[in-house]
Amino acid sequence: MKILVAEDDQLMMKMLEFRLRKDGHDVIITHDGREAVAKLDEFQPDLVITDIMMPYLSGLEVVSAVKKKYPAGTPVIILSGMGQENVVLEAFQLGADDYMTKPFSPNELSVRVRRFDVSAVK
Amino acid sequence: MSWQTFILHLFTYGILLYSIILLACYLLIGTFSIMETRSYLHKNSFTDYRVLASSTEAPSMSILAPAYNEGPTIIENVRSLLSLHYHNLEVIIINDGSKDDSLARLIEAYSLYKADFFVNQRLKTKPIRGVYRSSNPVYRKLIVVDKENGGKADALNVGVNIARSDYFVCIDVDCVLEQDALLKLAKPFLESTTQRVIAAGGVVRIANSCEIEGGRLVKVNLPKQLLPRIQTLEYIRAFLLSRMAWTKLNGLLLISGAFGAFDREIVINCGGYNPKTVGEDMELVVRMRRYMEELGEPYKVAFIPDPLCWTEAPSTYRILGRQRNRWTRGTIETLRSHKKMFFNPSYGILGMLSYPYWFFFEFLAPIIEFFGVIGLIYYCFEYAVNWQAVSIMIGVVCLGILYSIFAILMEVLTYHQYKQKKDILNLVLAAILEPFVFHPFVVWSAVVGNFDLMRKNNSWGEMTRQGFTANKKA
Amino acid sequence: MKGRSLIHLLSISWQIQNIAVAAVVILMICLLTFMLAYMLSQSLQEKKKQKWRMISDMLINKAIFFEERDEIEDQILASVLEAAKKLTGNKQFRKFITGELISAKKNISGTSSDSLKQFYLQLGLEQYALKNLESRQWYVKAQAIQELTIMDTDEFIDQLQAFTDDKNEYVRMEAQAAMVQFKGFEGLDFLDVITYPLSNWQQIKLLQLLSARPPSNIGIDKWFNSENPTVVIFALKLARNYHRFELHDAIASCLDHEDPDVRLEAIRCLNEIYTDETSDHLIGHFLREGLRNQVAMAKVMQTVGTKRDELFLFDLLTYDSDELKLHAARALVNASEDGWTSLERLSNRSEDAIARILMHIKAEKAA
Repeated sequence: MKILVAEDDQLMMKMLEFRLRKDGHDVIITHDGREAVAKLDEFQPDLVITDIMMPYLSGLEVVSAVKKKYPAGTPVIILSGMGQENVVLEAFQLGADDYMTKPFSPNELSVRVRRFDVSAVK
Repeated sequence: MSWQTFILHLFTYGILLYSIILLACYLLIGTFSIMETRSYLHKNSFTDYRVLASSTEAPSMSILAPAYNEGPTIIENVRSLLSLHYHNLEVIIINDGSKDDSLARLIEAYSLYKADFFVNQRLKTKPIRGVYRSSNPVYRKLIVVDKENGGKADALNVGVNIARSDYFVCIDVDCVLEQDALLKLAKPFLESTTQRVIAAGGVVRIANSCEIEGGRLVKVNLPKQLLPRIQTLEYIRAFLLSRMAWTKLNGLLLISGAFGAFDREIVINCGGYNPKTVGEDMELVVRMRRYMEELGEPYKVAFIPDPLCWTEAPSTYRILGRQRNRWTRGTIETLRSHKKMFFNPSYGILGMLSYPYWFFFEFLAPIIEFFGVIGLIYYCFEYAVNWQAVSIMIGVVCLGILYSIFAILMEVLTYHQYKQKKDILNLVLAAILEPFVFHPFVVWSAVVGNFDLMRKNNSWGEMTRQGFTANKKA
Repeated sequence: MKGRSLIHLLSISWQIQNIAVAAVVILMICLLTFMLAYMLSQSLQEKKKQKWRMISDMLINKAIFFEERDEIEDQILASVLEAAKKLTGNKQFRKFITGELISAKKNISGTSSDSLKQFYLQLGLEQYALKNLESRQWYVKAQAIQELTIMDTDEFIDQLQAFTDDKNEYVRMEAQAAMVQFKGFEGLDFLDVITYPLSNWQQIKLLQLLSARPPSNIGIDKWFNSENPTVVIFALKLARNYHRFELHDAIASCLDHEDPDVRLEAIRCLNEIYTDETSDHLIGHFLREGLRNQVAMAKVMQTVGTKRDELFLFDLLTYDSDELKLHAARALVNASEDGWTSLERLSNRSEDAIARILMHIKAEKAA
């Protein structure tokens, strides 16, 4: 599966990239919201994983951009340090498909990602 | 002894005394700054600011950004403000009667509509034309106020009225902030238990020649032009040494108007910004401190040394001169309207130390220097070269350079923004050049400021900015 | 006579001056040399870190993706750990590897997080932290406590307990956080004894740590009677966050507390935890409060106000403060169906402020 990851923290990025690659996914790295949205067309990802607090565009803006571009497909998982109820609600209202808070369990992420893998289900 | 020799001696000893006091000040400021900086860095080393970012209990904050004819850059500047890391935030842009299309651009870019908004007029201001909010929920944090032109202080007062938060942060709209700037600025307010923190100042750094993209700092560079480069040094000295030392003493008088946080309740209680002065940032802090002293409540003005705010410095003598002229007038106006505190023990440190320091070293020093040098030159031509006075002068200049080098060392030891060895060398060169090419001009501008104030010339000294787009990476 | 002594003095000062200028120049050179040496050592350090990073990356990767038992993999891991352990004698390396493990641990939970703890212990880093607990420098101590806390080494809990009322603010803050991290709500028992105030920052941090735990029904109300006002405030926040409705009366009695900050927190707390009688409590205490707390009360009236309170709310509309008026008007609209019409009738008669307030409320409702 082609996964686009938007995360500004270097260490988090490295960890996500490593784990997702090990799980057999194609990982495209972007370091802020603007870069993520810009690369959507080029890479046509099957899944987007995004942080919320990022430079230029926040993760919530990434969600609404993805949903605008692909009204039917491309699920978005939010992986953020912010766990406030209203943020989570807002994320889902904007169309996010899943929400995980940091600290996160890599094993759990792996399972949640697999849920969106259409080819695996088939 | 003839009167000439008497004058000569008076003169020589005068300069000697001045330089000794200056040396003492440098020593004290250096020591206090080291103490305060060490303690701040230690505290910071185990502080996790994410706690604040992800908490519902964090106090609410408002950013107040007055904008006047900022059309070309306003969209991206607002965008970068909206992406700051802080949960409980509202961003209030105050369009101070701009003559350009700032408002129209904002309405278009952020899908704004005019909202019925009841403004609690606790501070008197010029009339508001309208309050705008976004119909896009992603920009829920944004409020744009359109008002009649009334100057920066008046615009900020409107912002204070509209804000609903506990604390507000005032910034220049063209400043570039680090993402975690607000988290760091909020902390002093939450930390203190014995004193009420009434305001917290932040460091302003020079952004000339830095790479800026979309309202965000991408790469720090030392300014390529000499004038901004010397100002870089000047700002390092002022923020890393002087303000840190004053914070240690709890005697800080000035929070830069470009970046500072304030307790909204206290600002309202003491009447908000004063639109009648050109130095509204300093005047407010002094008035807030005075208010707290008169109330007899323990308080503190905090200061954060991290480089969080980057701004463009004047790069021509003409604009620099206007800026310094304005600063001088602001200082004098502030000192004048609070002269009651001068050596007044009932105002504690504020009256006995901070105020006198500003009076002698910020207000009087340029005047003394100016007439000192003129006097010396006159004497040398008219009678004979007074080698003693000249050598004291050389000593003072060397001392100044030493102090600058110490400031550079502090920068290297703490934040080390300029990574290349070449940059540090250039800063040291700037330190050596400063007393000859920059300082005399600053002194001259200050003296002119004094005259202008006497002539009641209250022009705004508007700063023409080059705009960040000019510095964009090609 | 006088002139001669002055000249004498001057010639002495002349020499002193020369010495002084020379001293300044020498000092300048010293500072510059020191700066240069520091920068060189920094860049050397940076190069070393690049090498060290391979070790830390390897460990972190192992933690986040634990493969099936494989002897070769195990051997590689063992040899990396051994090599790393040899380096721990170097203070800089220790600082580096601890830092990396901590930042990874902060972001990760579950079994991966447990592995990180195992690596930390296998490298023997906890021994250094324990030694640092005895340091005389507060920041060394506080940092050691924080390190042990983040690394979840609950075996040292007793050593940390003693620091919860330490005279240094940062040491006790970290120790308190440690207790909550290890024991959850039970860990809050330091609130019984602490004599120093809890800063707002610390309260935010503790609540944050608690939010990761399942709610517990520990007795909060004993802290309402604490001598330490910040403990009372914290207890009120706990009651509010965890919706402890049974504590309503105890919270309402905090409206009589002598500290206005405690009363403010109690008022805010009543916004979440209220009964039919809450508004009576608020109204009963209203006149005794300063403006700040009055505004907070009026705000709460939007939630707890009923038709019975109309008289009081209409009275608030006659106060000077526009903020009070705004909240009172909102409360009136919420309290009863005819609140709106009676307000409109009033706005026809009274000054312009009420009319503008009504417009504002209308816009709010529409948004």
